[in-house]
Amino acid sequence: MNVKIFQFNGCHKCFNETILLQKDLKKSDIEYIENPYDWELEEINVAVITGYLLPTDQEVLKKIQSISDRVIAYGSCPTTGGLYGLANQHGHEVTPLRNLIGNPQELHGCLAEIEELSSLIQNNDPKALKNLCQVCKRRSTCEFLEKVHRQLETEDEETCFNDLGFLCSGYIAKECKERCIDYKTPCRGCKPSITRPGIRMLGMFGTLMGNIEVATEASKYGATDKLADEEDDVTDSLPDIVGNFFRFSLPTSGLPKGRIPSQGNILKDLFIGRMIEEIPLILGLLGGAHSITKTLNFIETYEKENNITITEKIRIYRDELKELEGELQKAVERKDPLKYEEITTKIREIAGNMNLSNLFFGGFKTPIRDDDEFDEYRTHTFEIVEGSYKNGVLNFDLDTEGRIIDIEMKEV
Amino acid sequence: MKLSHYQKEVSSAMSECDEYENVVVFMCNECGQGSANTAGVARMSYDPAMRIVRVQCTGQVGPIQIMDALNSGADAVACVGCCLGACHFFNGNVISMHRIKIMKKLFKELGYSDQFVNQYTSRAAEGETAVGDFDDIIERLCSAIQEGGTIQNEC
Repeated sequence: MNVKIFQFNGCHKCFNETILLQKDLKKSDIEYIENPYDWELEEINVAVITGYLLPTDQEVLKKIQSISDRVIAYGSCPTTGGLYGLANQHGHEVTPLRNLIGNPQELHGCLAEIEELSSLIQNNDPKALKNLCQVCKRRSTCEFLEKVHRQLETEDEETCFNDLGFLCSGYIAKECKERCIDYKTPCRGCKPSITRPGIRMLGMFGTLMGNIEVATEASKYGATDKLADEEDDVTDSLPDIVGNFFRFSLPTSGLPKGRIPSQGNILKDLFIGRMIEEIPLILGLLGGAHSITKTLNFIETYEKENNITITEKIRIYRDELKELEGELQKAVERKDPLKYEEITTKIREIAGNMNLSNLFFGGFKTPIRDDDEFDEYRTHTFEIVEGSYKNGVLNFDLDTEGRIIDIEMKEV
Repeated sequence: MKLSHYQKEVSSAMSECDEYENVVVFMCNECGQGSANTAGVARMSYDPAMRIVRVQCTGQVGPIQIMDALNSGADAVACVGCCLGACHFFNGNVISMHRIKIMKKLFKELGYSDQFVNQYTSRAAEGETAVGDFDDIIERLCSAIQEGGTIQNEC
């Protein structure tokens, strides 16, 4: 059997994860192709596509399909559009694989699970997956909310995030390996259990908000009431609907293509409009070679400007993560599955998962080791301050509601 | 569906623009549909682009139905329910209002006018409330089209 793994555009997180395939398959069977535009045509049994896709990639994808027995879309980007799909809000054309070539096999998730890919390649029966809520230790009552919260500081580990007024898309998601929900990070639905997850979650959350004041006004005609256009508690409590409900599925959601003017760069367009408290997770999800440094860089810039002090313990853990990132990079270059697994396990121990869910402003969200004092490095809710933040490598501006209005990231 | 010559004439006589063909209105079985019936009995006229969909309660209508209508060729979607506090079930009209308010914000975030979806109320005994709501839908749709074009080109 010969398996070829293609990396198209975007971050290399899923591509790097496929190093672990060497544990289940013969090493000589797997070939990694980082530049799909430059490789020699030959017969393929299984072609695995990772990274986000654009309509310009269609030609080479058709070529790959014509010479392979099976094509597998691996990760959120080629299946539902993924994080980069958010740039469609600004008129980009990130497209899922199924719209470019007919019926590929799909594995959702950001990061998608390597065990599933391995069993799919070997034609084993897929593991039956439950819904996320069934495996979540929190329990939902679906009662109407009094208020929607943007940050949550609570010891409560039994009440559903949605009941606490903290938007979580777990209702529409399947169980996964990354489990952001275990690190006080609500689910954003990278592994949908239904079609059109974002739009259904929007309807669900709209219902939950049923008790929150909505503005009405008298109709000009007929003397009855109608929904008013003015800002009210409903719109104020959801500053970024596209980024939170459609984080991984904007291109496949059936919504019209965004008409917000583009800033030119897809990475920049992806970040503009997102809420400050979501940025650490988004940067973590973006993966790639320097995702840990970038995430910590962002967090530290904001902390420094707003005088959020961090303890020595936090600094030690963050430095440890930065060191691990360097080692991970070496393991990726050598394509060494054992070393890769060893280092990712260490990263998961501190950062929660490969999406860095445990990292936040002012500390960590959940205890890292049992034998240390959590109070020394726990995070607290922080104030959202508008303004311009600069540190040379990373510059960003926030508006009054804490949304990114401009961002610039230089490669180190 | 294209409008007939006669329908177009009526349509453009009643409003300033003629770039729309279908407006889907979800009307609840109680007050919404009731007021439309009353308007019909009184032989009141309204824009021929209106396509009324009868639902049990506007609480049944969510983003899924609205996007399905827009994706299948509607130029605008509106819900007409009972008056505030007078839902014949529990509070379906208010729940629908919350969803539609969120949809409006979503359209704004995507760079569109928020006037393609709206929610109204009407009274079953007064036909003019339904016809007034229809007039308001067309007026808002026309101003949205003049500002930034129809949503149909992108759906």
